Amino acid sequence: DGVAVLTAPQNLSVQSTNMKHLLTWSPVVVPGEIIDYFVEYQGEYESLYMSHIWIPSSWCSPTENPECDITDDITATVLYNLRVRATLGSQTSAWSTLKHPFNRNSTILTPPGLEVSKDGFHLVIKLEDLGPQFEFLVAYWRREPGAKEHIKMVRNGGVPVLLETAEPGAAYCVKAQTFVKAIGRHSAFSQAECVKLQGEALSL
Amino acid sequence: LKTLHLGSCVITTNLQEMRNGFSEIRDHVQAEDEIIDVRILRKMVSLQDTEPAGQCCLLRHVLRLYLDKVFKNYQTPDHHILRKLSSLANSFLTIKKDLRLCHDRMTCPCWEEAMEKYSRILSHFEELKPREAVVKALGELDILLRWMEETE
Repeated sequence: DGVAVLTAPQNLSVQSTNMKHLLTWSPVVVPGEIIDYFVEYQGEYESLYMSHIWIPSSWCSPTENPECDITDDITATVLYNLRVRATLGSQTSAWSTLKHPFNRNSTILTPPGLEVSKDGFHLVIKLEDLGPQFEFLVAYWRREPGAKEHIKMVRNGGVPVLLETAEPGAAYCVKAQTFVKAIGRHSAFSQAECVKLQGEALSL
Repeated sequence: LKTLHLGSCVITTNLQEMRNGFSEIRDHVQAEDEIIDVRILRKMVSLQDTEPAGQCCLLRHVLRLYLDKVFKNYQTPDHHILRKLSSLANSFLTIKKDLRLCHDRMTCPCWEEAMEKYSRILSHFEELKPREAVVKALGELDILLRWMEETE
């Protein structure tokens, strides 16, 4: 094992949005040199049953950047320990471990992107493609006093979905939120988008 | 995500993700199993042929077997296999936690049929040498995943 001469990476943290998880840290700087980083993780199972086992991350063992996309490694809704060390030739730093274990159920869920369009008298929407773990709850209503709100579950983003066959001249509004079953959480609703069968989409 | 109805215990689980993960390492793990005429997870003790009320108990015990005696005792230098097994183990841990909640709510009773089937599974496991048993049990993960798939 190389002598721990290099300073260990500091300020480890995870930014997680819409089930994409990025581990970042402060870079270790040695003028004129390129530092390699090694990232390892430990799921709750490993920490409970085999705590000496750490698993090299899929994409960052090694990496030269002070960040690592750990999305492919965080595959269960349990706590994950994460650690990073720096190497330069035979010099190796100590491991730095994320202060608080990360659980993907803490990911930030943003309202989905939403495009509302008309195809003749059909009201059609297209939702942002956020990946296979995302479902969408779509609410739509006719823009008139006392109109009833309709709900529709949409399984996949990125493909046009027929919402309603509308009456000529009617105006409709649509909003949507994401739902991630794996963590049992949903996002806030998006801004409502309205469209009049003959007119252009109006943003409120 | 698939919803598993185990009697009055209902849980959701990422069964397809687990199947995808296991399919990437199945050939490698099954190739290590040299005892081809023996099976640990046999049809007669299968989950789907168990009384619904006892399915939760049986699954809970089988998952505990895998968590306590299988995953942790399989060593490999192959990082890819290590990652896939970690993913499976942590998913099993999540399921076991959900089954524990059912147990706490008295919807996971352990009656004779389930316990008798589990003891047979355990004896099939313990008849083998430790390393052989671990390798065979890992190779039979697709059977266990299919059992879960087929519970109605």
